Amino acid sequence: MNHLPVLLVALYLAAALGLPLLGRNKKFPAGLFAVGVAGCGLILAAASAWHVAGTGTYSYFPGGHQAPLGIEITIDWVTVFLHLTINLLAVLVLIYSTADLSRELGGGRAKTWYYSLFFLLLAALNGIVMAFDLFNIFVFTEIGTIAACALVAIRPKRLCVEAAFKYLVLSALGSGMVLLGIGLLYMVTGYLNIGAMAQALPKAFAMYPWNVLVALSLFVIGLGTKAALFPLHVWLPDAHSSAPTPSSAALSGLVIKVYAVAMARIIFQAYGAELFSRIPVPDVILVFSTAGIFAGSVLAIGQTDIKRMLAYSSVAQIGYIFLGFALVTMNGIVGGILHIFCHAVMKSLLFLAAGAIIFKTGIRKIEDLAGMGYRMPLTMAAFSIGALSMVGIPGFSGFISKYYLAFGALAADRPVYVAVILLSSLLNAVYFFPIVVRAFFGHKEKQMTWDRLPWAMTVPMVVLAALTVILGILPGGLVRIAELAAGAWLN
Amino acid sequence: MIAKLISNMHFLTAMVLFLIGFHTMLTHSNLIKKVMGMNIMETGIFLFFISVGYVRGGSSPIAVPGAEGYINPLPSALILTGIVVSVSLTAFALALIVKLYNYYGTVDADKIMQLRGGEE
Repeated sequence: MNHLPVLLVALYLAAALGLPLLGRNKKFPAGLFAVGVAGCGLILAAASAWHVAGTGTYSYFPGGHQAPLGIEITIDWVTVFLHLTINLLAVLVLIYSTADLSRELGGGRAKTWYYSLFFLLLAALNGIVMAFDLFNIFVFTEIGTIAACALVAIRPKRLCVEAAFKYLVLSALGSGMVLLGIGLLYMVTGYLNIGAMAQALPKAFAMYPWNVLVALSLFVIGLGTKAALFPLHVWLPDAHSSAPTPSSAALSGLVIKVYAVAMARIIFQAYGAELFSRIPVPDVILVFSTAGIFAGSVLAIGQTDIKRMLAYSSVAQIGYIFLGFALVTMNGIVGGILHIFCHAVMKSLLFLAAGAIIFKTGIRKIEDLAGMGYRMPLTMAAFSIGALSMVGIPGFSGFISKYYLAFGALAADRPVYVAVILLSSLLNAVYFFPIVVRAFFGHKEKQMTWDRLPWAMTVPMVVLAALTVILGILPGGLVRIAELAAGAWLN
Repeated sequence: MIAKLISNMHFLTAMVLFLIGFHTMLTHSNLIKKVMGMNIMETGIFLFFISVGYVRGGSSPIAVPGAEGYINPLPSALILTGIVVSVSLTAFALALIVKLYNYYGTVDADKIMQLRGGEE
């Protein structure tokens, strides 16, 4: 049972390598195969979660070599939480992609390549969240970066290639800084293992404060670029809005957050919450995430393209996650971790619904959405649920994470951030409600028609919308996992 | 001070290379030059890593009779991976540039921005 999480990465890597070979057969059902593999991944993740719930968290040493000489993989509650999120979303997005991809990529073998890249990305994401070794985090980050850029560039449109290049250059800058930071820390501690480093760092900090501080700032800027922390988000709107819809959902829903988790793991488990709060880095992150929350929302208000608006909204939402982490209080971190899941679910829902509208009608402009509630009632209902959750209306999952964030801000004795959360929720309403209102009450169509979408598109949307509502009403289990995860980070 | 700097020349060089690459990547509008900057930056980091593991007078980490002290092999092994990562990033970036050139007929980022105009 201990091998399950590692098998998860191996499964995805094998699928990524096998797909181009299997795809040589023209009749090979690549979409079905991809959904099957991701389904196996979800089962592995769920079994691993069940195992951890029974026997507790553990460390895994590939090849049996003990740390710090060997590589350590940690299966703690953060890993379990993220594995479940990633694989659940992957299954739903892949089901959706079987209906959508032919339109976006054209015919030929592009679909097989797409799934191959998608599995590389999944392997990297699953790897990053369980790596307990700085260099491992770096290697998985790079795999994820290349796969994510390729998932944007694969669409045969010049805008996508340009967006992917911008994404690649900024990500490469980020990874350069992360690697330099790893070098600076290795220089003064002699370890790459996060656990061993945590023990060596206080002494190293006393002797070589500059190395440790510069490394911390390099991590924050490098991983912040990849996670689109304001003002390093400039690549995000182009990349996420021009990508094929399944890529947009996965990139906005999963990829940027996994980098945020990698940063938080380095900060809380290598540096430790105590050392981290002694230097004014949390304050800097708080300022940037607050600026991101407002700037992302304000920029989203000005957008006319629906996918671009959703992309800017991601800039704002990633700000909440960093806000929670940088508060360095129990409830704040719980709120940040919860928001990873809640935002993954609702942003994927919104992207899939927007993609379904584009698939069916070709409409991308927000002003043209008037009366859409009569032409595609199911899609617009799903979109509305996502939008309400995004604003943080009680009864939807988005409310739960904001609730914990607000309590975290109070516990940190910074009530101003409660005001930030409230005000930004109002801003979210400013750009989401007009769409909903216009779609349902804009101008009445003569008669109501059903969506007539392929079932592969409706099922993921219905599941995601149901998850948003169910978790908004019964968040108990999710909150408990997030509390266990946050507890491990604060000690 | 100066003597200290000279004896730590490799660290200084690594930082200078890193900054040259960083600057090139951000300020040049020619896409090929951006990729060159990326490579210079990464070379700087590689040099930095290798310097961390270097022991003056140490021999390569193979057990041979008569060796007095070895250099640390770990950074060199890590950088092997780093080089692989950097090569794949470069290859991917160049492939994207080829595609961009086919679409826009130029490798200048500013001109591409102009051609793009208000396209959404």
